[in-house]
Amino acid sequence: MSRQPPGGVLKQVRRTHNRIESRIERLESLLSDFCTRLPPGLTPANRLTLGGRVQESAGHLPVGCDRIDRLLGGGFPVGALSEISGAASSGRTSLALTLLAATTAKGELAGWVDAADAFDPISAERLGVDLDRVLWVRPPNEREALAASERLLKTEGFPLVLLDWTNRRAGPGTASWLRLTRLAAASRTTLLLLSAERLAGPHAALAIEMQPARACFTGTPSLLETLETRMLLVRSRATSVDPDGASIVVNESAA
Amino acid sequence: MACLLVPDLPLRAELRAHPELEGKPFVVAAGDDARAEVIAVSPAAFADGVRARGSVTQARSISSALQVRVMSPALEQATRQTLVDLALSFSPRAALAERSTWAFPCEAAVLLDASGLSHLFSQEAHFASALGARAEALGLPGFVAVAASRSVAHIAARRCATTDPSRSEHTVCVLPPGHESRFLSPLPVDLLDPDDKLGQQLTRFGIHTVRDLLRLPRRALATRLGPEVLQLAARARGEENESPLPAPSDDLIVEAMDLDHPVDRSEPLLFVLRGLLSRLLERLTLRRLACGPLDLELELVGGGRDARRIGIAGPTRDLRVLLRLVSLSLESDAPDAAVESVRLGTRGHPLQCDQLDLFRPRGPDPNTLDRTLSELESLCGAGRVGAPEIANEHRPDAYGMKPFQPASLSSTRSSTPSSIPSSTPSSGPEVDRVSGETLVVRALRPAVAAEVRVSRGVPVSLRSAVSSGDVVHTSGPWRTTGRWWSDTERYALDHFDVQVSDGTVLRLCFDWHARAWRVDGVYD
Repeated sequence: MSRQPPGGVLKQVRRTHNRIESRIERLESLLSDFCTRLPPGLTPANRLTLGGRVQESAGHLPVGCDRIDRLLGGGFPVGALSEISGAASSGRTSLALTLLAATTAKGELAGWVDAADAFDPISAERLGVDLDRVLWVRPPNEREALAASERLLKTEGFPLVLLDWTNRRAGPGTASWLRLTRLAAASRTTLLLLSAERLAGPHAALAIEMQPARACFTGTPSLLETLETRMLLVRSRATSVDPDGASIVVNESAA
Repeated sequence: MACLLVPDLPLRAELRAHPELEGKPFVVAAGDDARAEVIAVSPAAFADGVRARGSVTQARSISSALQVRVMSPALEQATRQTLVDLALSFSPRAALAERSTWAFPCEAAVLLDASGLSHLFSQEAHFASALGARAEALGLPGFVAVAASRSVAHIAARRCATTDPSRSEHTVCVLPPGHESRFLSPLPVDLLDPDDKLGQQLTRFGIHTVRDLLRLPRRALATRLGPEVLQLAARARGEENESPLPAPSDDLIVEAMDLDHPVDRSEPLLFVLRGLLSRLLERLTLRRLACGPLDLELELVGGGRDARRIGIAGPTRDLRVLLRLVSLSLESDAPDAAVESVRLGTRGHPLQCDQLDLFRPRGPDPNTLDRTLSELESLCGAGRVGAPEIANEHRPDAYGMKPFQPASLSSTRSSTPSSIPSSTPSSGPEVDRVSGETLVVRALRPAVAAEVRVSRGVPVSLRSAVSSGDVVHTSGPWRTTGRWWSDTERYALDHFDVQVSDGTVLRLCFDWHARAWRVDGVYD
């Protein structure tokens, strides 16, 4: 038996290691490709293990608009708190309902904790939301709204929980945000906060500011046709935010 | 057949409702006056020398620390039904035995079909012990007998109860088939439970045991004592005709209680209701059911009655949630007078199960969801949790809410909704369409009053809590009228879509009946 110098052994080990790593990478890409092809009933993509390693990618809940999803890095992060803030007529509800429509269209359930008591079923239905899959909770005050959100986050099977906090100027405080973000992380739920101003601060993994741009009244007699708004990504924990390039103009239009 | 017999039901019913009486000397009396008959005596009072069938005054003279409880028929009935629920946790066929009026007025017996239980219990004695143990755990210790027929099982259980007052042993009796007559012969004829008149006649004729009765010629017996004695003789031989036990037809479960004193405050009433609810849940658990909507009936001082139904979003067994719902109902609509008696009923609902689908996302566990819905309803109030629904109404601000039942949704939508945004940009590279074919409205509930200046029928400026300023753009009016046949519900509304100088786009409305402007929605 010939003895190889230690440097040669090291090289061989390194080569083998590299080969194994590249195979694992190929397997992982195959696996993620396979997971994307799975029907929604089989959603273990985030939990599949390969070589004893848990895939740590948290995943995203896509809105369904390519440019918005691209801006957000794939959609709203799963297992984290996201925030959409903006003034009245800035399109924050439209964006939230679009996400709700995309989620319910996949057969998922969603909870809408309506602290503002402003959910309009007609708008939601016209937008394509499957109302039967939306649990609408109308708490009488902030305390109950937070408790209801916590309860929903503790219940498995709601991948999206929206908390409409738009008619409140102040947030519930750091302790509540911490509790909500922890629950969202534990249950792998996308928690989306709608607010008039940014309230969650550093607790939000993603924050979007909506700014009203213009309303288009056209025709004679004039009809309200389009609301144009600017969507600004102000915080994203996953990607670095470029203040110049992180905004798009979106419009919502009447039939 | 098996029989579970509780010999001192009034006592057990009181202890079940008032566990604090355990170990204390107390009696249950037939009425609330001093001459009322004592019908049941607690072991501590028995040890002091108090006996049943005397008056309350006599009992008090024997034991000074004696507490007297007045018999509550509602409580007794609920306890009897608990025995049925207990039996149904072992066998699908069970029924209460007929109430004895003469010799054993305080006993309650439930009969159950034990056939087929050999798959669960290797020996009948094991089954009888398990039945007895579960009854004891419920606070209803009794005697169990297993025999070939119902009447023999009942008599055997009675014999256990009468020969073993200490109840420390021999609480279970199993009669092998064919041994009935040998077992019955030496027993006192009273155990057959003849009616009052027949019992006295048998005593007068010197017939004390079953053997004495069976020795006599059948025809002569009927001639002298009437046809009832033939039925008694058939029972003594173990040959009584017995129809099959019925399966329970109703899942209605009721707990009731007559209060010692009228209660006019909510805290003591809730304390009573907590006890009732916990006993209700105990019975539902025995039947493997969950609690549905609650029917609460309160008998009030002065003869009034308060009946209400407390809705529950989903079947649950969570006492905390149910108590909160009851509390919310009583807070929102307090009874008009003090409460004398409480009755709480519910129809048991089976715990839900969900058939998983390979092509559908796994939703929440139905029972967890039911609990969540109930908890949310207890947090937010009735009618504030559910699935949104488009109201069958032309009024723009109408909305509906229906029970959230995702388990009934078998599959995802057949096609992707047309209004799901298209991925291609609609108008140039820099603009993307968010909401597709509609503008989204945020409802304002209730609508916000507004002061509006109008020129040529069109709003030109407005002042409201939502937005104030000059109107930059207007669209409308869009007129909606309806319910013209009702003075209180009719509406005639003119809606305008307006953009205010601060950038807000509102849905402004003029109510022709109230002759007032208000903002009932914001485009967002």
